[in-house]
Amino acid sequence: MSKDYDVCVVGSGAGAGPVISELAKAGKSVLVLEKGPWLKEDDFFKDEMACCRRNTYTPNLEDEQHVIEEETNNGGWVSEATSESGWDFWNGNVVGGSSNFMSGYFYRLKPKDFRLRSEFGPIKGANVVDWPISYADLEPYYTKAETEIGISGHIIPHKHQEPRSTSDFPFPPTSEHPIVNKIDKACDELNLTSLPTPRAILSRPHNGRNSCEYSGYCGSYGCHSGAKGSSRAALLDGAVATGNCEIRANSKVYKLKTNNQGKVTEALYFDVNDKPQSVSAKLFVVACHAIETSRLLLASTGPKHPNGLGNNYQQLGKNLLFSGGGSGTGEFHYSKMDQLTATAMKTRGPFVNRGLQDWYFFEDKAFGGKAKGGVIDFLLRHPNPIAKAMSMRFNNDDSLNWGQPLKRDLKTVFTGTQDLRFEVFNDWLPTDNCFVSLDTNIKDKWGSAVAKVRVGYHEHDLKVGAFLANKAESVLQQMGADNIRSSISGSPPANLVAGGCRFGDDIKTSVLNADCKVHDVDNLYVTDGSFMPTGGSVPYTWTIYANAFRVADIIKQRV
Amino acid sequence: MNNRYSNFPDINRRQFIQAIAALSTSWPMTGMASLNILGDSHKDTYKNLSDPWLTLASVQEHLFPAGDSLEQASPGAQDIAALRFLRNMLEAPDTDSEEKAFILNGVNWLNDLSLKNNQTKFTQLNTENKETILRQIETSNAGSRWLSLMLGYLIEALLSDPVYGGNKDQRGWKWLEHIPGFPTPSVDKVYFKLGAHASAKRRTKA
Repeated sequence: MSKDYDVCVVGSGAGAGPVISELAKAGKSVLVLEKGPWLKEDDFFKDEMACCRRNTYTPNLEDEQHVIEEETNNGGWVSEATSESGWDFWNGNVVGGSSNFMSGYFYRLKPKDFRLRSEFGPIKGANVVDWPISYADLEPYYTKAETEIGISGHIIPHKHQEPRSTSDFPFPPTSEHPIVNKIDKACDELNLTSLPTPRAILSRPHNGRNSCEYSGYCGSYGCHSGAKGSSRAALLDGAVATGNCEIRANSKVYKLKTNNQGKVTEALYFDVNDKPQSVSAKLFVVACHAIETSRLLLASTGPKHPNGLGNNYQQLGKNLLFSGGGSGTGEFHYSKMDQLTATAMKTRGPFVNRGLQDWYFFEDKAFGGKAKGGVIDFLLRHPNPIAKAMSMRFNNDDSLNWGQPLKRDLKTVFTGTQDLRFEVFNDWLPTDNCFVSLDTNIKDKWGSAVAKVRVGYHEHDLKVGAFLANKAESVLQQMGADNIRSSISGSPPANLVAGGCRFGDDIKTSVLNADCKVHDVDNLYVTDGSFMPTGGSVPYTWTIYANAFRVADIIKQRV
Repeated sequence: MNNRYSNFPDINRRQFIQAIAALSTSWPMTGMASLNILGDSHKDTYKNLSDPWLTLASVQEHLFPAGDSLEQASPGAQDIAALRFLRNMLEAPDTDSEEKAFILNGVNWLNDLSLKNNQTKFTQLNTENKETILRQIETSNAGSRWLSLMLGYLIEALLSDPVYGGNKDQRGWKWLEHIPGFPTPSVDKVYFKLGAHASAKRRTKA
């Protein structure tokens, strides 16, 4: 029976882009079904209203939402729809997905991250396992992503540097803000290794894309120059140019239909006019955001898969991961600087590009010996002025602030200091209290059950986060910052999600095999962050790109 | 449905529809593509005002007054065309209809209270009495929410891109020494003409 396409890909973000691009370049016919619209470079502006104040790139929560289940003080669970709470779990529903809006901090995992259980032993209450592949299996694809996506950086040897097959990045670091000199000096004094942060941002033109324009508005914003290594700019545009790839935007897949042999035959979706459509393909790839991927597979019941695709052993949606950690801030008051320094500190545009990995692994009695830590990244306070000003509407006693007092507060906060922030990334341990299921009450606007997400965390995550935040604060202290504070919590960051379809060798404990194929479905692969059994202690995007390049090579041999 | 509004007792559907109808006729959005900002010219925004805009402008100016003993040059609500911004946003296709109604009905509510307390409408009160009455309504949940929304729109008017009708001549950015990014949006590429809103619109048409 003839199929419409060789491969049908659901989603178009970082997990989808490499598969789409590699298969299209190999001459396979590829159809991409993306729920969101197709915005181009010409549609992206430094407009806080568009990026951050209104739902421009994400759905109205009344139309499409999640139900979030949180632990109560007495150990029970209470669920609330996000249309009620306003807690938005969408990241970027457009062609290229949320990679359009990332800050592009790019880190590889380290060899020990692939065997966390063997290296550090079990942790009570956590489902830590080793990966079915090793760092060596992924290394060539991390390297490939450096060129294909465009990753800039510079290698400085340090005790936790992961092995590399090339000596350095293909692109030099992006321009740096003068504050890095202060960070470097403080780290030197503290005997820490201040490391340049690799970024998925072009420091020089590449493959028809411009280099960074340094407007100073990067994270949360779509990139106008094409320098940001979004799936769209780096991969999809090239895939479409081959003539083998068709992208259908505004196409929401709601079910994968399987036959009596348990193979996927069709993707069912609603088109831009909300009309139901279907398309057949030899092979299907799902990569539409960790939570939504689990949701789609749960909804895709069939004769051989009565509980959803890949769920014959109740593993689907389980062991969802966010990122552990938190953030902190220190203030540098212009009044304490000479004018030249103040002017330099006010610079807007270049990146801070500094981070610490001194405690990626560490030994500490409080952690029972050797332990897994994480990374610290430094960044300036986000330049979004409306967000900054909004919190000043309220006084400390929750009364409203207006008139001249409000204006004085605004003037002080906007013109008095440069704020240096840090972010801590550490493992979000997989537990039985963090998973995706289908909500039994709430539907999206097309009538499909929305995802219910239980967002429990492991206490160990907070302990590691606090350890790292303390180290980061010591750097701010050494720099002479005022009003240093930080916050570590178990609140899940909605923009750093993985897991739910962990890969492994045993169908009874995992959803995908080592190739990221659903164990008992011959023609279905999952290539977004869902595959990760543990998350490592870095943002996931580079690993998602690399793994998708790896799986693309496997799929190429099959169609 | 949305618990944000459950504390506000008197949203009247019929009044609301009338208010919106009046709003639409007095504020045509067509034929403005040639302008480089959304909505009316600044001069006209504050000319011959009648309610609800007259009262809203007066509340805005009280919440965000011009000048300051410390900061002579600081702009006030009218200097940044905060009313034009508010009108544009209330007309934006994604603005919650209940929120629109809530803001517009708040004007009646405020004037009723003002007439009761001071036998005159809000705009006629002196600064001290304006402060008293706004602090009085702040003590109710609905009043606090109304003021918080008004402040929210004011802050957006102060610091959003001038294309949205506020931040006139970038006065908000200049006052707070804010360095904006580039490129900035044209009137054809404001947020509700992109992305989710644009595709929603296509759906409606088809």
